[in-house]
Amino acid sequence: MSGILDISGVSKKFGGIQAVDGASFSLGKPGIYGLIGPNGAGKTTMFDIICGRQVPDAGEVRFHAQRIDGVKPYKLAREGLARTFQECRVLPEETCLNNVLFAAQDKRLGSEVLQAFTRSATARRSAELEARRLLKLIDIERYADDPASALSYGQRRLLEIVSCLMSKPRILLLDEPASGINPTLLNTLHDFLVEIYEETKIVFLIVEHNMEFIMSLATEIVVMHQGRVLAQGAPERIQSDKNVIDAYLG
Amino acid sequence: MKPSLPLIAAATILIFGALAPVIFSGEPYVLYVLTLALCYAIPVIGMNLLYGYTGLVSLGHMGFAGVGAYTTALLMKSAGLPFVPALLTGAAAAGFVGLLVGIPCLRLRSHFFIVVTLAVGMILFTLFNNLDPITGGAEGLPGIPRPQGFTLGSFVVEFRSVSGFYILTFIITALVFGLQVLLVRSDFGRALSSIRQDETLAAARGVNVFGHKLLAFVLSAAIAGVGGAMKVLFLRTAAPLSFELQESINLIVMLILGGAGYLIGPIVGAITFVALPEFLRAAAEMRLIFFGFTLLIVARFAPRGICGAVVAGTRILSRKDKNLVRHS
Repeated sequence: MSGILDISGVSKKFGGIQAVDGASFSLGKPGIYGLIGPNGAGKTTMFDIICGRQVPDAGEVRFHAQRIDGVKPYKLAREGLARTFQECRVLPEETCLNNVLFAAQDKRLGSEVLQAFTRSATARRSAELEARRLLKLIDIERYADDPASALSYGQRRLLEIVSCLMSKPRILLLDEPASGINPTLLNTLHDFLVEIYEETKIVFLIVEHNMEFIMSLATEIVVMHQGRVLAQGAPERIQSDKNVIDAYLG
Repeated sequence: MKPSLPLIAAATILIFGALAPVIFSGEPYVLYVLTLALCYAIPVIGMNLLYGYTGLVSLGHMGFAGVGAYTTALLMKSAGLPFVPALLTGAAAAGFVGLLVGIPCLRLRSHFFIVVTLAVGMILFTLFNNLDPITGGAEGLPGIPRPQGFTLGSFVVEFRSVSGFYILTFIITALVFGLQVLLVRSDFGRALSSIRQDETLAAARGVNVFGHKLLAFVLSAAIAGVGGAMKVLFLRTAAPLSFELQESINLIVMLILGGAGYLIGPIVGAITFVALPEFLRAAAEMRLIFFGFTLLIVARFAPRGICGAVVAGTRILSRKDKNLVRHS
């Protein structure tokens, strides 16, 4: 049976360290998934492998039954895989509106050059309405024409997420979205993620350290430990799983 | 919507540039300096595409200009090809050499890439200097013909005189400038700009970073080739010293002086860089010292070049205007 994202027997070694050691899990249907684990569990490596930043030594990653391990990040992006970064990346010099519009742009070299000489603005104009709606959703539409570098860290994080949504992804990968966000904004972020999930109904895969945040947000949790998948299931079941408790406390 | 500042500046320069032969009709020397400045402005536009927008530095760009220059010169002198096809072939040759250099080198990280372009510039210079049977070696290729004139009804257009060649250079510069505007203000330009701002993010958004860099590099080299060709047609001789390392560095200085990442930055920079020392002649031997100080002052107080300083200045002024309205 093939799900939306299938990881089977993925391994990755850095020098003498086995970062991921035959990890397998499957995300069968749309939902908010949390990927957690103690430090050094291999979450980030796993995330990088899915995003195409790392090539696994063994095993395979399938997205809608298509193999995507070792595929370059820009090709994955064009296939509908959107991601955010732990350190939060936006285009600092572009305005907030242009940041969101840029995500919607057709980035194949040929169509870009064609656009340069035809100066066709139809695609951009039709995207602008949606872009402004998204900016309104995160309450920064009044900064639409200000450079993204003028935003606060939390606002930039939200801008990064809506930029991802603008590209109409089929899967959204979030790398520690709660890191560096103050507790008040954390609630906003939580509600915002639930809201956009309800709207898009795609797979959200979230790597997160903040347990309270991810347990209340995710519908299903994947726990990694020492490079392997320790458990997968609903948050309540995970929280009472003996192996998981041992991994975190032991 | 009121017209934007860059648009006004571009229009002013365009009108002034086109009228220059009339304004300076009694002063061929001024036209001579302006023509030379435009011959530099073209490769600086290429450099702007590469450095100002994509964020890549090339220290060998005059080498590519040289490829375009020698190709055009040989085609016109030995093969007797007319100006336009010779110039286009020259640009294509420079772009092709850019492609050959870009494919292996653009995968390198920024500073390694700079070192490689430096080496490429030196290799190309050495080739120009030593391939005597083709390039004439250190003596260069003298006696390159000026483009043929033509008649439009009773109106004779010729490019032999100083003002005639100035007009030709002006038209070519305007065309290259137009190409720059088209490329920069497009989806392609936005993708290049995203690479400069954050390469990792650009890739995650679907930008083929290598492909975009390669195309920018090839275009930039081809534009440099056009500039090199205009320069040798103007000086009527192709000499290797026109395309040495110092000249490549001058291109970067011109771009930074004018303002990298601004459409008219290259024009402003090239004219200032070429013309200023000429107009400082009153200071006799001291002129290069004055010139050096001018560059220092720009670097210290206007890190984004003359254009950057003007934009910042108008922003401050408009803010003051608004305050006045509010308080009155």
